[in-house]
Amino acid sequence: MKFSDETLTAYLEGKLDEAEARAIESAVEADPELEQRLMALDPFAPVVQAVFERVPAETPAVDLPEHVPVAPVRPAGGGLRLLAVAASVAVVAVSATYWAMRPKPLGWAAQAAIYQSLYTPDTIASLDSSPQALDAQFAMAEEQLGRSLNRAALEALPGGELKRAQILSFKGKPLVQVVFADEQGQPFAFCVIRQGEGAPTRELKEAVLSGLATATWARDGYGYMLIGAKDQTDLAGQLDILTTSFPG
Amino acid sequence: MSVETSSEQAVRGAIQMHSKRVWRFGLALSGASDVADDLLQSTCLRALERHHQVTSFERLDSWLITICRSIWLNEVRARSVRKAQALSVTPEAELIAAGPDAETNIFAAEVFTQVMQLPEAQRETVMLVFVEGYSYREAAALLEVPIGTIMSRLSNARQKLKTVMQHEAADAVRRSGK
Repeated sequence: MKFSDETLTAYLEGKLDEAEARAIESAVEADPELEQRLMALDPFAPVVQAVFERVPAETPAVDLPEHVPVAPVRPAGGGLRLLAVAASVAVVAVSATYWAMRPKPLGWAAQAAIYQSLYTPDTIASLDSSPQALDAQFAMAEEQLGRSLNRAALEALPGGELKRAQILSFKGKPLVQVVFADEQGQPFAFCVIRQGEGAPTRELKEAVLSGLATATWARDGYGYMLIGAKDQTDLAGQLDILTTSFPG
Repeated sequence: MSVETSSEQAVRGAIQMHSKRVWRFGLALSGASDVADDLLQSTCLRALERHHQVTSFERLDSWLITICRSIWLNEVRARSVRKAQALSVTPEAELIAAGPDAETNIFAAEVFTQVMQLPEAQRETVMLVFVEGYSYREAAALLEVPIGTIMSRLSNARQKLKTVMQHEAADAVRRSGK
């Protein structure tokens, strides 16, 4: 059974009746691709994520001993403990089966596009884009990334007014979103993620993600993404500059 | 021997990389930041003691979360829930780092409070799927429930979160109309 995006969105908004909702839920059980589509359409997830990814503000302290003795399986606990061990082994086995079957998780570019698709002109209209604010944002962002963001090049980007550099994170990797207003005040963004040494190089690839024109490339441990204001946005002019300014 | 060393290193690395995630999950389980601190600490010690059980270095994040949840359920939950009832603990919205402007902060605090007021089962599910990005299937395996249960928990959570989201949408309309 095929479900349209409209139907899936209605499900996520709680607008379907019981029977329709059950039909989607049982279809998802058998169809990891449908599951991924449904998850990508969920309007709640990015909002809740944006709030909680800033919690806790600092990396929490963990006190770890230098050398850890390997914990013996203590027979002292008797039957119950052994039962618990057996149960946890069973859980691991079941979990392993699930994970082997798991759908491919969304990559950083897909997630960044979903997040950017929620931006409206109002989102960026009220941002503090004073030189002082941008100085502080760029200093923090560059520190997280461990590289320069070529602010001069970004400020000179044709058809864009620099609004903010924001630190996000994807699976523990620092991700910086630099957001601009285009000539109509529409938001578009340039994102940089630190993927770490040894991350594969990727040639420039254009795609429409979450209804926005995007281009991604990766070199020397960093991934880059330009996300246009619309699905039809022509990125070529800006890409020429960005791929030259960020060869790696 | 070299296998042992590298699994210990992998576990130490995973702890470093995922400590925020485990802490957040501890917060979702317990609803209290001091309990989340304790849960993170116990989880990391337990994981390090058991590094030799690690056979695959992929998905160590899930492994840490499973350990955290088992410590919560078996060792911490009973006394923390009693304590929470006695003190009628309210969610700690001040945990949220200051955002770019006051309106964003108010909205973030509302979302935070709404999520923390969900029942525990919905809260842990929302945290794994919405915040940490696990698929329904992965969350089902982690929480040891069927996928259908994950989806219905999320539906119930969305119903409750709707109010605050609608406020936000209304505010955005008002702002654009000014």
